[in-house]
Amino acid sequence: MNKIMLNKHNIESSDFINLTDNIKASGKYLLGIAAADERSLNSKYAVRYFFGGGGGNIDEYCVNADESFQSISKICPAAKMYEREIYDLFGLLPTGHPDLRPLMLYPENWDSSVHPLRKDYNNLTPEMKKYGEYKFKEILGEGIFEILVGPVHAGIIEPGHFRFSLAGEPVLQLEVRHFWKHRGIEKVCEGKDFKEGLDLVSKISGDNNVNITISYLEAVENLLNIEIPKRAEYIRVILAELERIWNYVRDIAWIFMDIGFALPAQSLFALQEELMRLNKILTGHRFLFNSLTIGGVNSDLDSAKLKTIENTVKKVENIIKDCEEFILNSSTVLDRLEFTGKINHKTAEELSLCGISARASGLSRDSRIEFPYLIYDKLNLKPVLHDGGDVFARTVLKIKEIYVSKKIIEDLLFNLPEGDIAVACGNKPEAYKYAIGNSETSRGNAFFYIMADDNGKIFRLKYIDPSFRIWPSIQYGVLGNIIADFPLINKSLNLSYSGNDM
Amino acid sequence: MSFLSKLLFKNKTQEITAAESGSILIKGEELKRSVNEVFGRSLFVRLVDSGSCNACENELAALSNPYYDLERFGIKFVASPKHADVLIITGCVTRNMLNPMLKTYENIPSPKFVITAGDCPESGGPFKDSYSVCGPVSKYLNVAVHISGCPPEPETIVSGFLKFMDMMKSS
Repeated sequence: MNKIMLNKHNIESSDFINLTDNIKASGKYLLGIAAADERSLNSKYAVRYFFGGGGGNIDEYCVNADESFQSISKICPAAKMYEREIYDLFGLLPTGHPDLRPLMLYPENWDSSVHPLRKDYNNLTPEMKKYGEYKFKEILGEGIFEILVGPVHAGIIEPGHFRFSLAGEPVLQLEVRHFWKHRGIEKVCEGKDFKEGLDLVSKISGDNNVNITISYLEAVENLLNIEIPKRAEYIRVILAELERIWNYVRDIAWIFMDIGFALPAQSLFALQEELMRLNKILTGHRFLFNSLTIGGVNSDLDSAKLKTIENTVKKVENIIKDCEEFILNSSTVLDRLEFTGKINHKTAEELSLCGISARASGLSRDSRIEFPYLIYDKLNLKPVLHDGGDVFARTVLKIKEIYVSKKIIEDLLFNLPEGDIAVACGNKPEAYKYAIGNSETSRGNAFFYIMADDNGKIFRLKYIDPSFRIWPSIQYGVLGNIIADFPLINKSLNLSYSGNDM
Repeated sequence: MSFLSKLLFKNKTQEITAAESGSILIKGEELKRSVNEVFGRSLFVRLVDSGSCNACENELAALSNPYYDLERFGIKFVASPKHADVLIITGCVTRNMLNPMLKTYENIPSPKFVITAGDCPESGGPFKDSYSVCGPVSKYLNVAVHISGCPPEPETIVSGFLKFMDMMKSS
């Protein structure tokens, strides 16, 4: 059951920009903005701002809007992308916004009058033709040139467009254009029941599906008023930490790959394969798909499975310890990682980063500690921080997080409570009630806002992926770095395209 | 340097594969024979993700890890479509990715073949009812072989390549 307190405030749009200053000054930061078409309820749109930090509560500020709302981007730069998103999907104008170029509805494919998240928009096959052209930012001057990368990249990765302006080797400007993979998941979820929603949500970002699903279930189980069994809570945490470990093992492997150390990289890729095979043994799926259900978990862990987990995480720790020693003692590795892709503390704060990217810039942000869910409040976790802000800081933190996760798993393995792994859920949610859910994925805070309709179906589902919050920061991290270091910087953040694009 | 020497002498690729992936070796050897025969020892593959959840890409990348090491059987993922024989497509084909996908295909020299991997490119998967999805792939391109699974496991993908090679040999 959700333990977060949600303090709700209703305010006028024009007042909010002044209030934003005070909220920021009190040490709170933007967790996300969720708009909804509530014209059928009170003939208005609702724009909800969620702020966290400064003690475990989350503040919600709700602004009603007809056609426009006041932009807060000038005071709170983290709001910039959300406001562009709302302008695209709802057609609500954020007045005073500095950059209103379309975000996911490309003018190359979409008519600007299309706003798919409005309740009265139902056209699944809008005409496909060129309606306009996207304007990129330009830097002009003698000797300045551009390098265009993507959307289809050279490696086996997801699509995204990166446009560099350079003078010689150092990067003067990077503009990231994403949302190639915009699948419209939020709209697809509307009108579905929570069970169908679960299937969709687990495919937002496959490599983090357990943690994202946990966040979704936090919200859903709150709406349905379900208390899940203790054993299920423990198993959820074990699976979540296993997912975190395999993600970080892969991330560190790619760091080695990108600095030309194929041997440790392949050794870690082999370790990743072992972890994915462990996943298959535990739940029957290499990515742990469908391992969680509303009211509990789908597969129990017997003593043989627990033993396998214990042995595997021990092995992981040993190999990662060797890696850490190697990184810290090799001047060639340090030379590539240190001072590369530095994201300053101030930048991280203004962009409201989360997860490893925030902690590597000295911001103490870990949802497991700030807004505890499941049994995380009983684990006495301390945030693992670094103030370097560079690729080195992020790599070292990933290593340290693996040790933390290993310890959590071991603690829980030996104390797994007996009992059921799921409860039945026949409850119906209260009509037009909403709840939030949050969890810490390997990339950062995964945040859900879900409102039920009067049939117990999803009226509005908003998911905010950590990658959506962190992607803009790479445009600052690369400045002044040589172009050849970009892949390394990108891998050190290792953000999701699918979670960002939705 | 103890870390590197430990890895060099204690953790050989061959040991992993023989002990834990016997079936991969059998399938791989068969694959190698037919790749040698039909594609002159090298089958080059280009990937386009047209809107997946990233799990399929993870599994395709896993084919390069020491357990599978697909390159030893003559199959290589290449950076440019201009070098490729085969285009692998994952994902449900979003409106925004339709053009890049078709352009990638256009840039592959003939003869060229399309393989789809994962459930999304075949049916749109859970996203088929979206305003933003315009798949399946077969609406736009001729698909030679489909590898199903959500996502298909690395060994299933190897089997998919085998199926593709059988098709090539018989045509």
